[in-house]
Parts: sequence; C-alpha cells; structure tokens
Amino acid sequence: MAQQVISYADLSIINTALRAIKTDMQAVNVDIGSINTKHDHLKNDLLKLANSFFDFVESDIKHKALQLAETRQGNLKQDLQIKFGYYTEVRRMATGILQGVDSGIVGDDTLQHTTEEVMIKAPNYWLAPALVVLASWIRDDKNTTEKALTESLKRDDYKTTLFFMLIMRRLGRNEACLQWMNRYFLHQNPHNLDREFIVILEAITTGVFQPASHQLMITNVKNWIDQLTQNDNYIDKQKVQWTIFFKTKGSFSENNYPLLKEFAPNWVELKSSFLQARAHSALDSHFKNIFNNTTDYSKTTKIQLDEILSLLVTNFDDEELPLQNEVRLNQLIIQTDGDKKAAQSLMDTEKHIFDEKVDFLQMLTNAAFDPKLSGATKVTQALAVSVSQPWILEAHDTFTAEYRNNVEETIELNIDGFKTSTTDGTDETEQLQKHDKYWTDLLENELKKLTFPTASVIIGVIISVLSLVIFGAIGIIGLLIGCLIIFNSINNHKKSKKKTIENITERKTKSKEVLRGCIAETVDYRKEFALEDAKAEILRQTLQSITPEYFSSNSRDTRNILQSS
Amino acid sequence: MNKIIFQNESINSKYDSKQTSSKTLSDRDILKKRSEKYLKLIKGIDTKLLNETRGKEELMAKIYEEFGTAELANLPLGILAKCFLGHPHEVHTLDLSGNQIITHYKIGQPLPDHFEKVRTLVKHNAYAFVEIYKDKLILIREDGTATKL
Repeated sequence: MAQQVISYADLSIINTALRAIKTDMQAVNVDIGSINTKHDHLKNDLLKLANSFFDFVESDIKHKALQLAETRQGNLKQDLQIKFGYYTEVRRMATGILQGVDSGIVGDDTLQHTTEEVMIKAPNYWLAPALVVLASWIRDDKNTTEKALTESLKRDDYKTTLFFMLIMRRLGRNEACLQWMNRYFLHQNPHNLDREFIVILEAITTGVFQPASHQLMITNVKNWIDQLTQNDNYIDKQKVQWTIFFKTKGSFSENNYPLLKEFAPNWVELKSSFLQARAHSALDSHFKNIFNNTTDYSKTTKIQLDEILSLLVTNFDDEELPLQNEVRLNQLIIQTDGDKKAAQSLMDTEKHIFDEKVDFLQMLTNAAFDPKLSGATKVTQALAVSVSQPWILEAHDTFTAEYRNNVEETIELNIDGFKTSTTDGTDETEQLQKHDKYWTDLLENELKKLTFPTASVIIGVIISVLSLVIFGAIGIIGLLIGCLIIFNSINNHKKSKKKTIENITERKTKSKEVLRGCIAETVDYRKEFALEDAKAEILRQTLQSITPEYFSSNSRDTRNILQSS
Repeated sequence: MNKIIFQNESINSKYDSKQTSSKTLSDRDILKKRSEKYLKLIKGIDTKLLNETRGKEELMAKIYEEFGTAELANLPLGILAKCFLGHPHEVHTLDLSGNQIITHYKIGQPLPDHFEKVRTLVKHNAYAFVEIYKDKLILIREDGTATKL
C-alpha cells in the first residue's frame, strides 16, 4: 500500500526544488572560482611586497654599514693621526734624507738637527734612530752613531739590518754592506722566509752586491739545505712537485699512430707512457736553456732593491698595523658599497698575499718553475735549479722508473672482432696466420648457421605428390607449384651462402690491411719509445753536470767569483 | 734471463712485530749510493752458484755489511735481477729473509707476488737490479745510484 502511495505522489515539486538548489550551487561555484583567482593575485602581491621588503632591509643594512664604515674610517684615521701621526712625518723625512744624502746637498747641521728632532717626536719607532745613525755617520760622529745604532737595533733588529744593508750597497760601502748582510742572513729562518728574500738572493746572484757576498750566500744556503734535508719531509714535498712538473712536459701527437689509436684497446696506457717518455728531450732543452742565459739582469735587480728600501722606509710599522688593518677593512666596506662579507673576503686575500712565507726549498722550487711568478729572473732560476739539483735528479729518477714500470708489455689489438696481442710487432707472420685462421673459422661457423631449407623442400614435395594423387591430371598445376617452392628455397640458400662468403672475404681483406698497419705502427711505436726513453739518460747526464756553484750571468763579478771559489 | 735473488713471503708476518720496535730508515739512508763491492756481489750471483751453506753465509754477511745492519726489518725482502744464464732464463730472485734461496725464472714463468710487479723494470737496461722492500722498491742503477719507487 505504502509503495503505491509514493508511486502516485506528485514528485514534481521536489524535482523543481532540487533543480533550484543545483542552480544556486552553480552560482556558488562560480563565486568560489573568482575568489580563488583573487586569492592568487593577493598572494602574488604579497610575495612581491615581501621581496621588496627584504631588498629594502638588505640595502638598508648595507647602507647603514656603509655609513658606519665611513664614520669609523674617519675616526680611525684620526686615531692613527693622534697615535702615530709622527710616524708618517718620519717616513716622509726619511725619504727626503735619503735623497739628500744621495745628492749631497743637505748640510750636516740640518741633517743632525732634523734627525734628532725626529728621535724625540717618534719614540719606539726604529726608523728614527736609524736616521740619526745615518746623519751622524755622514758627519763622522762615531760616538753618536754607535749609540743610535744600538737603539735602532733594539727597536727593530731585522728592519734596521735590512735598511743598512741596502743603504750601504747604494753608497758602495762594500765592507760594511757585507757585515750587514751577514747579520741579515742570521735573521733568516730557512723554514720561514720573508717575501723580499728572493730579491736579495737575486741581487746577490746577479752581482748587484759585491763579490764577497756571493761566498757568504753559498755558505748560508749550504747550511740551510743541510738543516732542511735532515728529515725527508721538505725534500719529499719538493720531489713530488718536480715529478708533477716532469709529467706535464711531454707532448705527443696521436696522428702518428692512427690505427693503434682506433684498434688498440690499451691505447690510453700506451699513449700515457709515451707521453711521459717524450718529456725527457723537452726537459733537457728546458734545463739547458736555463743555464744558457746571457741577459744582464743587474739593472732591474737594482731597481727592485731600491723598491725594498723605499717600502721599508714608507711602509707601516708593526705597531700601526692593527689600526691600519681596520682602516683598510672600512675602506673595503666603502668600496663594496657596504657589503661586509665581500669586504672581509677581499681583506683575507690581501692579507694572505702579504703573510705568505715559504721555506727555503719551496722558494727554490718556485723560482725554478716560474721565476717571473716568484719575482725572480732566470739567473735566480739557474741558482735555484743548481741548488735543488740533488732532489731534481732523484725526482727525475723516480719519474722515469714510474712510467717505465707502467709500460704496457703487450699491445692489444681488436680488429673487427679479431683479438690478438703483440709485444713488439716482430711476429707479423704468426699474427697473419692467426688472423687467417680466425676468419676461416668464422666463415665456417657462419656457413654452418645457414641450414639447408629442408622444411620448404619437404613441403614442396608433399604438395606435388598430394596434388598428383588427389586431382590426377589436373594435379599437374600442384606439381608445378611444389617444384617452384623447392627450386626457390634452394636458390635462396645458395644466394645467401654466396653473400656470406663475399661479405666475410671482404671483411677479412680489410681487417688484414688494418692488422698489417697496426703491426707496422707497433714496430714504430716501440722504436720511437725506446728512442725517447733513452733520452732519459741524456737528461740525467745534463742534470748530473749541474753543480750548486755552476751558474753564470753577464753581471760583471759573478763569474769571477765562481771560478775562484 | 732475470734471476730472483731473494724470496721471503712467508716471513712477512714476522717483520711486522720487528719493524715496530726498530726505527725505520729514512730515505736519505736508503737512497745512498751502493758500493761497488755490493754491486759486484749481486751481479756475480749467476757465475757463482751458491749451493753450499758457506757461500750463502758469506753472501749474507756481505749484504749486512752493505746495509750496516743485520736487522731483517731494514733489509730488502729480496732482490730481483736480470739472469744471465742464457735463454730461456729471464730473471732471478734472491730471498733475503731467512731461506736465502736463489731461484732462476724462465720467460713467462710467473714470479712470486711482490716480485712480479717489477719484472718489466728489471729487464730495462738502465737498472742493474731491484731491491724489494715491504713498502717500497729501490731501483739500483749500474753506477750504484738508488731510486725510490
């Protein structure tokens, strides 16, 4: 009953209502869609705002850092002026005094007066008493000279020594200069040499200092080397560098061995040992070139020496350094528009350049590899090489032995599937026989794969027989079809057999040519390798002939001194 | 054509304990030029076949003298040299460890492990023989100069 009631009830109202709800829902959906779009826009705007805000913050930080740096720089400079202002004055005066002494146009009284005034103005600064020494020495006041010298040495022994060594050289006082040089060498620590040492070494080698200084240097250098070579660490470090240097010297064109390059699987190894063997002749001329040098470098060296002197006189003193460093950092911050990080990293690299100290052996190696980079000339390079000779020789021996040990015993070949190996290419006949056998076997195998088309022949026979039996005379057509199938399959078989033979014969001919070429190249390779390898002994002799005292330059005194020592 | 002069793989384990107690030689010492006497001695092994015990003892005494020590840890494990007995002999080994046996090897005949890796080098004309240490190889040239590898 109840079901009947429902079935007859009028549902149209409900249907209408449902339709209305559906329409409403659609409207709501559209609204939600537009809200989503708006939301996306809003999000983008917000992101833009956030980005520009971050940018603003960053630039604000930079701006503030910049302002701060500018203020600080001003303050620090003032600080410097207050604390060390007179240092600047001393420096300016020192340059003036040196020029005055050089030209001899300043009166003794003026010199005495000004230098003594400087002494009062700049307590603790080594340059002040040094200037007093200079002034009193010029007017022959021994008493004051000695007192002032003691004071100067007390304040900064190293700088005073360097200062007087350079001044005495400029003034041509050989005896005094030698004394100072002796002191200078005592100051040097072979484990930790200053940057300017290479210039001094250079000056001595090129004969800018008087001849006797040469002997002094050789003696010192020998002592240092004895010290540094007491354990293996320093020498081993240099030896590794030399070995790497040797490895980079070989050059070799692959074009001479096009076939081996293509068909020898171990070509990379073959090439690498060849490349290293090729290094010997290049190195031989490299070393000979270092010693066949006739350029006179003494002029440039003199200029460099004067540069050291002027730096010594004009550079900041250790006391001022912390403040000067801060000023420099702030300057860099201003330069980088307030970017503190960039400024700090710039500062670090700058500092690294100035802090760079090397041990004597490393300095020699640097000068021997690239004299220009280390601020030396070829003369110093020759000296460096001759001093380093013992471990250059050891490194060369190791380098040679290493690649000799890695020489490939055999040259592997892989030509169109034919794999073989030969030691020196003298076994051409055997190789060709092996090659022939490989291709004969291959042909046999390939032919075996081409089975006789038995199935097609049987089908042909069956068709012919059946059609004859079933259809009698009319079956003759079937017989013909069967014969055609048999004939066709046999013919195809013959054709593919012929094709296989042709194909393999052609490949064999080509492969044989390549094999012959490879063997010829192998013979050449071994021959050329032996030739280059033998040059190791020539280079060894060249290296052995270098002795620590053997180096020459055009500079006037060097040669004589060497010959007499 | 080379001869192995010394072999002693079995004793390797014994070295370990010894080496810790004795101080290892520095490169300066080990790369010292070898004496002519020593070179002659090693090169003459082919001619005098040291079959008798006395011969071996003498040989060892001379080697100790060269290295200034009888301590096994500082001595080479063995020496590998070209063999001049004639074809097909290639190299010979001299075992310095304890057995002090000279073994001649033919072409293609495999050498004990630590000798095999220097076979190519030993055949090179530049080197007279190779001293094989536990952790390094020392190549000796005809003039007695040593190279570390």
